[in-house]
Amino acid sequence: MMAFTLELGLAVLLLLVFGASLGARGRDRRWIAWLATVGILVLGIVSAFLKPTPPALFGMFVQDGLAIFAKRLFLAATFIGLLGGISSDAVACGRRAGEYHLLILSSLLGMLVLASARDLILLFVAFELMSIPLYVLAGFLKRQDEAVEAALKFFLVGSVSSAVMAYGLSFVYGAARTTDLGGVAQAFVPGQPLVLLGLLAVFAGFAFKIAAFPFHMWVPDIYEAASTPFVAWLSVAPKAAGFVALFRVYFEGMGDRAATWVPIAAGLAAITIVAGNLMALPQQNTKRLLAYSGIAHIGYMLVGFAAASASGTAMVLFYLVAYVFGNMGAFLVVEAVARSEGSEATAALRGLAQRSPLLALAMLLFLLSLGGIPFVAGFWAKLYVFWAAAAAGLYWLVLLGALLTVVALFYYLLVAKRMYIEPPAAGAGPLRLPGTLALALILCALAVVGLGLYPKPVVMAALRVAAPLF
Amino acid sequence: MIRQLLSLIPELSIITWSPFVGALLIMFTARHRPRAVRWIAAVTTGLSAVLSIRVYAAYDYDTAGFQFYEKLPLVPPLGISYELGADGISLLMLLLTSIIIVAGVFASWTVKVRSQEFYALLLALVTGVYGVFVSLDLFVLFLFYELAVLPMYLLIGIWGSTGEVRPRGVFAWAFRETGVGTKEYAAMKLTLYLLFGSAFILVGILALYVNAGASSFSFLDFEASAFPRALQRWVFLAFYVGFGILAGIWPLHTWSPDGHASAPTAVSMLHAGVLMKLGAYGVVRVGMGLLPEGAADLAWLVGTVACVNIVYGALSSMAQTDLKYVIAYSSVSHMGLVMLGAATLTEPGLNGSVFQMFAHGVMTGLFFALVGLVYEKTHSREIGKMSGFGKTMPGIATAFTVGGLSSLGLPATAGFVAELLTFLGAWRSAHRWWLFAAVAGTFLTAVYVLRVAKQIFWGPPAREFHHLEDARGPEWVALVVLVFVLVLFGMVPGLAIAPVGTATVPLLARIVSP
Repeated sequence: MMAFTLELGLAVLLLLVFGASLGARGRDRRWIAWLATVGILVLGIVSAFLKPTPPALFGMFVQDGLAIFAKRLFLAATFIGLLGGISSDAVACGRRAGEYHLLILSSLLGMLVLASARDLILLFVAFELMSIPLYVLAGFLKRQDEAVEAALKFFLVGSVSSAVMAYGLSFVYGAARTTDLGGVAQAFVPGQPLVLLGLLAVFAGFAFKIAAFPFHMWVPDIYEAASTPFVAWLSVAPKAAGFVALFRVYFEGMGDRAATWVPIAAGLAAITIVAGNLMALPQQNTKRLLAYSGIAHIGYMLVGFAAASASGTAMVLFYLVAYVFGNMGAFLVVEAVARSEGSEATAALRGLAQRSPLLALAMLLFLLSLGGIPFVAGFWAKLYVFWAAAAAGLYWLVLLGALLTVVALFYYLLVAKRMYIEPPAAGAGPLRLPGTLALALILCALAVVGLGLYPKPVVMAALRVAAPLF
Repeated sequence: MIRQLLSLIPELSIITWSPFVGALLIMFTARHRPRAVRWIAAVTTGLSAVLSIRVYAAYDYDTAGFQFYEKLPLVPPLGISYELGADGISLLMLLLTSIIIVAGVFASWTVKVRSQEFYALLLALVTGVYGVFVSLDLFVLFLFYELAVLPMYLLIGIWGSTGEVRPRGVFAWAFRETGVGTKEYAAMKLTLYLLFGSAFILVGILALYVNAGASSFSFLDFEASAFPRALQRWVFLAFYVGFGILAGIWPLHTWSPDGHASAPTAVSMLHAGVLMKLGAYGVVRVGMGLLPEGAADLAWLVGTVACVNIVYGALSSMAQTDLKYVIAYSSVSHMGLVMLGAATLTEPGLNGSVFQMFAHGVMTGLFFALVGLVYEKTHSREIGKMSGFGKTMPGIATAFTVGGLSSLGLPATAGFVAELLTFLGAWRSAHRWWLFAAVAGTFLTAVYVLRVAKQIFWGPPAREFHHLEDARGPEWVALVVLVFVLVLFGMVPGLAIAPVGTATVPLLARIVSP
């Protein structure tokens, strides 16, 4: 039972929220949001005391260090995302507050199971449990045409990718005659075509979920159309889950043979970095800008994946942590500004430094972190990923990645320019920031600066949990 | 007893962090008090200046090597530590930085708009510069390097002047899409070029770390390990490109004229005077110091590009009509001399290179201070419009002429010593023809410097400018200090050659006989 603490706890929370939404009356249902948020906080605190346990369910479900690390990250991201959404009146707390939170929590349940899945069937089921609520959530603003269009796009492309993944898994099963990931790893001999083909198809499915380059089309539209606190969460948590699943499928039990994936992963990383950064350049909408820059970040994480080593895996985990806080923070600033200005364009940030210096400073910190500048978390993230890749001999990829960070800094600095160099519009005063949103922003900023100044504990933890994979 | 206590003072750390403390004090205590802001800046940079003169005097020539050593482990499992030390080259650069920043603080005494943030950023930047010159840990060096580069973006973007900078090339395309002004264009171009360079530096450092197997980023550990020749070659190339961008090597120099022309006075002084030296220092210290075989193999490239720099920079300078652009392009030309001296791989050449870093730093700092003063009084930088200022502002005119004479290498100025040593080095090097480019550059320098000096200061006075006044109060401090240093080091070059020689001789010994 110890292995399922978090999953059971989350299931209880789901039922509570469900019951609450049945009993709720009136237009203001903010208390449901509070219930879900506090519940996630409690689960997060519980997760801090979790210890690795032996595999359960005949080895299908493992609660090892990697799973616990990932689950803590998911819970932290969900907490911040829900906290940032509490104050938004329209979506998260209106009449449909129950639905909104139920969907987020069930997707989270999918992620938690996914982080522990060590069996192809469980893995696939968890993946779908994570994804299907996301399709619904993407179209949650159902009266807006853009949201419906984006959700439909998301759903169609997502189902196709799931189908491709299932198709690939069938090949893998056919060759390995087992759904156990350890068994698959045993059956994987480089040069044996069937497993290779299957795992390639699965890789394409993963690439869709994490939004690597040719499979990224759904990202910008959804980010632009959906509500911002949800997007903040969508931009980090499912991708982190996708990476953990990638590690499980491709690294666990593979040992030296994991190196087969190096050229594929390195190639995918390279085009994702280049495409994401270049496509971000002309964006005028901050959320679309962050969407494309997010694609580029996935590319950087793939650099660490391409290193196919324990340190590479650990560095991706660290990157994920830095990315969660930096990216969510940036989205929440967009939310804060959009709420008072009614616009998500970069132009809405004009003169923010003279209107709300602290908010502008927070945004600057997030942007610098995303850009990989020293003294904030993102710098270490990029550095460690490059380091792992350099240790694996992928110097060309490191150089490419490092050069493209300059392109990334270009568009991040343009946003900084709007905030710091341009004067505010006449008569614009300080922004009003709801308390919960401010708290979420403070948490993100503290994490970004804290990790920037003292990354060691997280790095060491990541190294510790990644080591048993190889 | 007192001597022992004195030896416990971490001089280099105080020099490095004193401006940073000043920046923090300014941010937190001096809101809306411009006078307090300026005095905090003056005192903290003054402290650094006094201490850097002290360490310069206290350096022990006989033991040579890195002295005033400090070490504090930062991230032990990764081998990153806060390790500082200074040898002859670093000491001269510390002195240069101190002179320029003190002069810069006084030269921008009149900045009124958001002066609190201006001084805070300026001082943070200076901490980065000091840090690069004294770091012995490459990782920490990289952090300081970034700290020295990034504030520049805001400094130019906010306080820069919207002059005659015209966006061109790929940047023009990108900027059409975003619609930004010209100073933002210059700021962005400068920042991105330098970050582009830092990408190469980072890759180089990581490559050394992975291959050294020493599990430390210490310069001394890297120095002790022998890297294979092929690796040395490409890593040296990476460092050359990375640091070289900051040193303004052709064809990656185009950020420098635009950036310097748009920047406010103190920032131009600091950037042209010190930051470009940071690049040259990086090539010499990290590139040549750690990769002797790579440096020996690629010296032809470094020297040839330097020759292009000298001639191209001088020719471009002749063609400018904007006074600040003349100075900015002359920096490109002079930085060519610096790189040429280093590429000769001879003792006089390398000494000349380091001496030129110093001389050019002081000289160009002086020029930008003067241009700032002239612009403040006339609100024009068009050379053609200005005339006969020698009558109305004799002090400024004299200082400009001294700077100009040093620039073209007149004896008894610091520029002469630097150029003579570089010529000697070029003659003794494997590529004797470099000498012709160097001499041609000096000749062209004489043409454009004398043309400008004659037009602006010594021609017939223009009627519209008859009410101008000479420099006043704090502005004198900058001019007097800089002119004094130029002449002093020209008269007594041994002041600089002696400490520099203790560092360059062992460095060359490693390159010539690896």
